[in-house]
Amino acid sequence: MTELLVKNACVIDPLRGINGDVMDIAIRDGKIVEEVSDAAEVVDARGMLTMPGGIDSHTHICGTKVNFGRYMSPEDMRAGRTPRRGPMHATSGYSVPTTYGNSYRYSVMGYTTLLEGAMAPLEARHTHEEFTYTPLQDTMANTLFDGNWAIMEAIRDGDIKRVAAIIAWTLSAVKGFGVKLTNPGGTEAWQWGKNVSCIRDPVPYFEVTPAEIIRSVVEANELLHLPHSVHLHCNNLGTPGNYTCTLGSMGLIPDLNPKRQTLYATHVQYHAYGGSGWKDFCSKSEPIANFVSMRPQIVIDMGQVMFGRTTTMTADGPMEFNLYRLHHDKWSNHDVELETGSGIIPVVYRRKNLVNSIMWSIGLELALLTKSPWQCLLTTDNPNGAPFVKYPEIIALLMSKRYRDAEFATVHPDTGSRVPLPAIERELDWNEIAVMTRAGAARALGIQDLGKGHLAPGADADIAIYPLKIDEVDPSAEYQKVIDGFSQTEYTIKRGRVVARRGECLVHGSNATFWVRPKVPENYDMSKDPDFIEKFERYYTVRMSNYPVQEEYLSRNRCIETEADL
Amino acid sequence: MKVTLAMKPAAKGFIPIEAESIVPKNFLSGTDLLVWRGNRELRLDEVFSVSVEGEADRAEGVEVVLSGETFRLKRVGEYMDGGKITVLGDIGMHCGNFMTAGTIEIHGNADGWLGREMAGGAIVCRGDVADYCASGYRGGRKGMKGGTVEVFGRAGDFLAENLADGTVIVHGDAGDMPGAEMRGGTLIVHGDCSRPAANMKGGSCYVYGTAREMIPTFKKIGPVQHDGRTLIQFAGDLANRGKGNLFVKNYEYLD
Repeated sequence: MTELLVKNACVIDPLRGINGDVMDIAIRDGKIVEEVSDAAEVVDARGMLTMPGGIDSHTHICGTKVNFGRYMSPEDMRAGRTPRRGPMHATSGYSVPTTYGNSYRYSVMGYTTLLEGAMAPLEARHTHEEFTYTPLQDTMANTLFDGNWAIMEAIRDGDIKRVAAIIAWTLSAVKGFGVKLTNPGGTEAWQWGKNVSCIRDPVPYFEVTPAEIIRSVVEANELLHLPHSVHLHCNNLGTPGNYTCTLGSMGLIPDLNPKRQTLYATHVQYHAYGGSGWKDFCSKSEPIANFVSMRPQIVIDMGQVMFGRTTTMTADGPMEFNLYRLHHDKWSNHDVELETGSGIIPVVYRRKNLVNSIMWSIGLELALLTKSPWQCLLTTDNPNGAPFVKYPEIIALLMSKRYRDAEFATVHPDTGSRVPLPAIERELDWNEIAVMTRAGAARALGIQDLGKGHLAPGADADIAIYPLKIDEVDPSAEYQKVIDGFSQTEYTIKRGRVVARRGECLVHGSNATFWVRPKVPENYDMSKDPDFIEKFERYYTVRMSNYPVQEEYLSRNRCIETEADL
Repeated sequence: MKVTLAMKPAAKGFIPIEAESIVPKNFLSGTDLLVWRGNRELRLDEVFSVSVEGEADRAEGVEVVLSGETFRLKRVGEYMDGGKITVLGDIGMHCGNFMTAGTIEIHGNADGWLGREMAGGAIVCRGDVADYCASGYRGGRKGMKGGTVEVFGRAGDFLAENLADGTVIVHGDAGDMPGAEMRGGTLIVHGDCSRPAANMKGGSCYVYGTAREMIPTFKKIGPVQHDGRTLIQFAGDLANRGKGNLFVKNYEYLD
């Protein structure tokens, strides 16, 4: 039995409605408890800001495309080099660091849970292997279903239950957590050298539209009672005028779940563009944020762009090809058999560039214009908008109008006429930041009942203590203190152990991977479905029996079993 | 100030010495420097017989003379910003990385990556150079950004790869792919080479000998006079929407 007592913590815990109370937190064997014995080890928080461990609800840190980003950009490994130190391995890389680099840097910022945004089912093993070497965070993987042949056939036949059954089998087989749709239909069309322009274009051969895919998969997701909703990367990413497509996609979604949203729309910054081309490109964050504010069934994340060098990577192959034609630099494209694809290119976002400046504004506007912080979470779609190490700067921008104005003065001079940002006075408070970075993410991912994102007795003892005194720091004026405070925790506690202290990681750690296993009736078990098996054996390059990820690939793990309504 | 570093013969084997501390500027504050041999850090006088003559108060006044088994030394003159280094024998890899000013003179041959990503100053090599002389590094977009590299012997493959600015002159032959991905600057090869200036975006590449396996995506412009020679001018690389100029004395395409 190990016990730990965090004393004099200034706690912000939005899921329990605690906002800045000074209290003690008792921990026994990795869980938060009511009280501990006098023998407990004591950590004195001295009134510092204490929150549940950070949760990144959409990041790309593990898996084949992240690793291909590393292959492609050896120059990236020249930055961020740290030697081996104590229990810390050597690290390198800036936008696509080594797995240890990701894990240590997240831990130093107080993050304890990460959702890998897109895992191709066929390549799940690689993702799980890299999870093993991301030791200081619990991990889970969104699984890609955007171009799944079997699902598109089932949708064409109008059989939602079969869609659900295929999702159930695949998630269990690849140890996935949630359902991700990346440019639904578009990646499959890309395999024919095409794309879909919006949600009403049929996918070649399958003759289903993205709208049908989104609606059917959302319904199937709720039939399976998965913890997380469908996680959607809308069609038409990065195209001027794409906000109408985004609104159209969001308008498809009924409110099907009382506990959480029914749709999680990710990196919406990239989907909130107005104009008819790059010449009249402008922000349409207002209609998007207003639309989201009126619909509790939708949660979005920012996908904030920050200036500097980074690597874009997504399952959205055709979009990356368009980016390649703009930048004319390195490009990689990848096709994943019957499932999806991907593309990667390195980019530099520049202040001098008008389009980049507008993108930077849009992310902030979404966060500031969406009324409830529970509906707009803080991400950069790491590393697409910026590496996650920029989060403290984003927090400071959201908390300080003065900082925003100072930064705005440095971007392209025409930006002011294209975006509403300068007119927005709102400054977020500490509680709202806590919602956007942990509580809201836990609720959106459906993991609050698993003890994530709050500090109630019984919850996992994942705690971040930041060297910030919230009654002494005025975030709107002293934004540099906010940046410094959120960049490096005083203590990061993971499962009841202090794992990071003032920038140093103290233990090797061992994470847990969350995955789901929906229970379906016998007649919906795809591993016994003759038609599914026949097509699988015919079209995949692997045998169906070799496809599931073996338990050996999961070190510690928590299987979430759900009962499907089929 | 003249600093003479004579290498003591190695007791055993061939273990390279990482000597990025051998930069003229560092000797202004004495010879108390460290180098790495494998995983061991050694004092300079454990590897060299050190002697110092005269005094200097600026890097420009310092000359470092290296002799002995200098081919074992790596990264000599890295980030050098003034003064002179003279190598009386061969030199190991990564000599003159990132240098911004000063002169390096090598009397023997140089191993790979000589003057990689240099930004200024001059390197003269009396012997041959191995691959990636005056080039960029893995994945980088810009290689050498300024200065001059002159080689009197032959050069290996990927000479001046990613050249962005500055001048590279090779008096002998060059290997495969000289000036690959170059985007500026001037590359002159007095001898023969193969596949020059592949995917070039800008700058000028001169081959006074024969360019074998010419890249087919260059557009032939015609003969021009240059420096008393008649050369054939090409523009390209069209595959890269390039606006570079390639001048060759003779050329042959791959059959």
